[in-house]
Amino acid sequence: MPDELLPEIAEVTDELLLLFRQAGAGLDRHGAFDSLALRVHAAQRVCNPVLSRFWGAASPDEPSAWHEIPPVPVQAFREVPIVAGRAEVVFRTSGTTGGAGRRGEHHVASLELYRAAARNNYRRHLFGGAAMVDVISLVPSPATVPDSSLATMSGFIAREPEVARTTWAFHPGRGVDLDAFREAAAAAVSDRRPILLLSTAFALVQLLDGLGRERSRLPEGSRIMETGGFKGRAIEMDQATLYGRAERTLGVPRSHIVNEYGMTEMLSQAYDHVAGEGRRTSERVLRFPPWVRTRALDPADLAALPPGRPGLLAHFDLANAASVCHLLTEDYGHTTEDGGVRLLGRAPGAELRGCSLAAESFLRALGRGAGARAATS
Amino acid sequence: MTEAWIWPPGLPGPSAHVRRRAGDLVLRHPAPDAGKPEALLAALRNGHRVLAAIPSGDLVRMVGAAAETLTVEIGSASIQEVAANARLSSPMTRVILDGMAASWNTDALDRLVRTEFPDPRALDGFVAETEPRAGESTDASAKRRVRAAAPPVTLHFGAGSVPGVSVTSMIRALLVKSAVLVKPGAGDIALTVRFARLLHRADPRLAGAAAVQYWPGGAPQWESWERGLLTGADQVVVQGSGATIEAIRARAPASTRLIEHPHRIGVAIVDPVGAPGAAASTARAAALFDQRGCVSTHLVLLLSGRDLAAHWCGELAASLAATATALPAGPSTPGELSARRQLEGRVAMKAAASPAIRLWTSDGAGWSVVLGPSEAFEPGGGRTVWVVQVADPEGALGVLSSLSPVLQTVGLAGLDGRAGFAEALCSLGATRIVPLDRVPFPEADWFHDGSRPLRELVRWGELR
Repeated sequence: MPDELLPEIAEVTDELLLLFRQAGAGLDRHGAFDSLALRVHAAQRVCNPVLSRFWGAASPDEPSAWHEIPPVPVQAFREVPIVAGRAEVVFRTSGTTGGAGRRGEHHVASLELYRAAARNNYRRHLFGGAAMVDVISLVPSPATVPDSSLATMSGFIAREPEVARTTWAFHPGRGVDLDAFREAAAAAVSDRRPILLLSTAFALVQLLDGLGRERSRLPEGSRIMETGGFKGRAIEMDQATLYGRAERTLGVPRSHIVNEYGMTEMLSQAYDHVAGEGRRTSERVLRFPPWVRTRALDPADLAALPPGRPGLLAHFDLANAASVCHLLTEDYGHTTEDGGVRLLGRAPGAELRGCSLAAESFLRALGRGAGARAATS
Repeated sequence: MTEAWIWPPGLPGPSAHVRRRAGDLVLRHPAPDAGKPEALLAALRNGHRVLAAIPSGDLVRMVGAAAETLTVEIGSASIQEVAANARLSSPMTRVILDGMAASWNTDALDRLVRTEFPDPRALDGFVAETEPRAGESTDASAKRRVRAAAPPVTLHFGAGSVPGVSVTSMIRALLVKSAVLVKPGAGDIALTVRFARLLHRADPRLAGAAAVQYWPGGAPQWESWERGLLTGADQVVVQGSGATIEAIRARAPASTRLIEHPHRIGVAIVDPVGAPGAAASTARAAALFDQRGCVSTHLVLLLSGRDLAAHWCGELAASLAATATALPAGPSTPGELSARRQLEGRVAMKAAASPAIRLWTSDGAGWSVVLGPSEAFEPGGGRTVWVVQVADPEGALGVLSSLSPVLQTVGLAGLDGRAGFAEALCSLGATRIVPLDRVPFPEADWFHDGSRPLRELVRWGELR
C-alpha cells in the first residue's frame, strides 16, 4: 500500500480522534454523518486501489449517502490486507467460524484511533457508578495474544485510572486460571472494591463450571462484561441460563451483567445497557456510539429492512477509516425504532449439502488450514 | 403432514411421535425409544430370512417394478412434496427423478446384477465359479463353487438433500438380499418413504425387509437409539461428511462392517476448441442437484489461453443464466444467502486485488463463475463454477494431483483420443471418467467412489 497516500486518511483520522473523544458530539446534526462518511470513503478510494476497484465493480454510481457505499463482506478480510497505509497492528479472527481456509485479518493503522473509539463507550457502560474497581480478565492479556482485538481492548480497560489492580486469569491453551481468579476475588473482597470481570461467554461458562458448587460472592457493585457467544465451541448455553448461573455463583445481579458486541473487523463496539441499570435482559438492545450506523439487510437483494424485520446486519463504522467502514456481517438481527440493534445470532438455515463436499471439509481434507473475534487464540 | 418413517408390518407402532421441519416440509416420525432398535432389527432379521428365499431374478423384477411405479405414479403434488423436502425447485426435482429413474428400472437393475455377478445365481446359493482366468489351472480339483451372501441387515445413513440417493441405496441392499433400514438425509425423506411404501404394497416379502426412519443424526436424545442400531446392524453404509463418518466410526463396534462414502467433488476438463458445446454441458453438470451431488461439477480445467478462457467463462455464465431459467434454483434460507454473499464478496475482493481473478455473477439467480488460479479454488456450492486455465492435459493433471483425496467424477469434453490420459486420471484418484454431458446421472453399475455398488455389500463364500 503506498505510504505517500496516507495523509489523505491521516487528515480525516485526526478529525475522528477529536470527534470520538467528544463522544461523537454533532454527528446527529442533519447530514453530518453522511458528509463525514463520504469524505472517509473518498479518502479510502484514493489510498486503497484494491478497495476502489472492489467498489467500482460493485456499483458504477457515485454514492451520495453512506448507505449507498457497497458494504464489504467480512470474509473479504481473509483475502487481502485492507488498510490505507502501513498497519500498526494486525488483529486476527479466531478461526472458529466456518467457511474458508484463512483467518480474517484486520490491519489497523492506528491503535490510538481504536482506543478512542472504544473508550468512551466502555467507560460509560462498564464503569458507571464505580470510583475504583479491580479488573479480573478472563480474556487473555494483550501481551499473550497481541493479535486479538478483544485482548487489546481489555488492555485499554486495564489502563483506566479507576482500575486499581488487574488480574489476567485466562491463558490460551490452559483456559481459566481458577486459582488466580479466587486470589484476585479474595483481594477485592478484602479491599471492599468492586470487580469488573471481563469475559467471553465461553470463558464464563468455564469459570462457573470450575467453581462448581463453590460460591464466590464478588464485592457489591461488581459487574461483568460478557461477549463473544460460543461460535464454534463444543459447549453452548443460552444467555438467560448463563446470567442466572453467574448471579447464583458470583452474586452479580443480571442488572450488572453487560453484553458487549464487537468483531475483529470493526473498531467500535455496542453494549446492551449500562451496568447497574435495572433493565430486564429481554428489554435490552445493543447500542453503538453515534459514529456507527447499522441496518438490517434482506439477504436476497441487500435491500434495507425496516425496524423489527430481521436480516443480515451491516454496520458503517467511521472508526474503520483506515481500513473499510461499511461491513456486511454474517450476523442476523434487526434494528429498533430508537436506533438500537437486536442480535439474533447467525443467519438461520445451514447450507444445504447433498453428498458434495463443502468448502470447510474440502480444505480440511486437503490439509489447508480455516473468523469470530480472537479472544483465546 | 408427511410421515418420515415406515416399519415392517407386524411391529408394534411407536408410542409417541416427534414433529419437525425438513426443508420446507412438516413431517413426523417416532420419538426416540431405547427399546425399539432391538425390535426393529429383529423384525428385519425375520424379513431377511424370507427375502433370502426369493430367487435373484424375481427380486430384480419385484424391486424394478416398484421403482418403475414410483416414477410413473409420482404426480405434480408429490413432486412438490419431494421438492419442498429437498428445497429444490419443482422443475429441477422432476429432472432429477427422471434422470435417476433410468438407473432404477428393471432392465437397468438386471444389467447391474449381471455386471456385478457374472452368474447372479451366486446370490441364491453356491455356483461354479465362472471361466478360469488366463493362466489359471483348469484342474478340476482347483475349481471351486462360490456364493455371494449379504449380511442379514444393512443400516444406511443417507446424505443431506439430494432426492433419490437413499432410494438407490435401498435398492442395492435389497438386490443382494439384505434387509435394510434407511435413515434418509433430511432432504431425502419424502421420496424414500414413498418408495418404501411401494415396496410394502408390492409384496409382503419386501415389506418385511424394508424400513425407513428419519431422526436427527448425532442429536443427544437419539444417542441410545443410534447406538442400539449401530451395535445391532450387520453392516452400515454411511454417506456423509467427514465429521459424520468419524462419529459413526467411533460408535460402531468392530464387528459391524462399515462402508463409507464421504463427500466428493466433481471436475470437468475441457478443450473448448474440440468441444464447442461444453459451456452448456458444464452449466448443466454444475446446476443439476443445485450442485449438491457428489458428481456435481465444481471445477473446470480449461485447456486454453487467457483470452479464450475469459471468453469461455462468459459463455458459461450465459449458459448458467439460461439453465437458471429452465431449472430454477431452490429457495434459499437466510443462512445460505449469507454464505453466498460472503463468498461472492471474498472472490470480488480477490479479483480487485489480482488481475488473475475474474468474476461473473448473476443478479439474484444464484450462480457464479470464477476464473482464477488453482490455489484459490474451493467449492462454493449453489452453482458456483471455478475455471482454472491450463496449458495442456499435463497441466490439468498437475492441478488434480492436489485434489486426489476428494476426487470422484471427471467429465471430459474435447479430449477424445488422448491415450493414457484416463490412466493418469485414474491414478490420481478419479473413479468415474465420463463425457461431460453424462456427468449428472451415473449408470446403475457405476463404481461408486471406486467400489462396486453391489459387491461392496456382500461377503463371498467358497466351497472347494
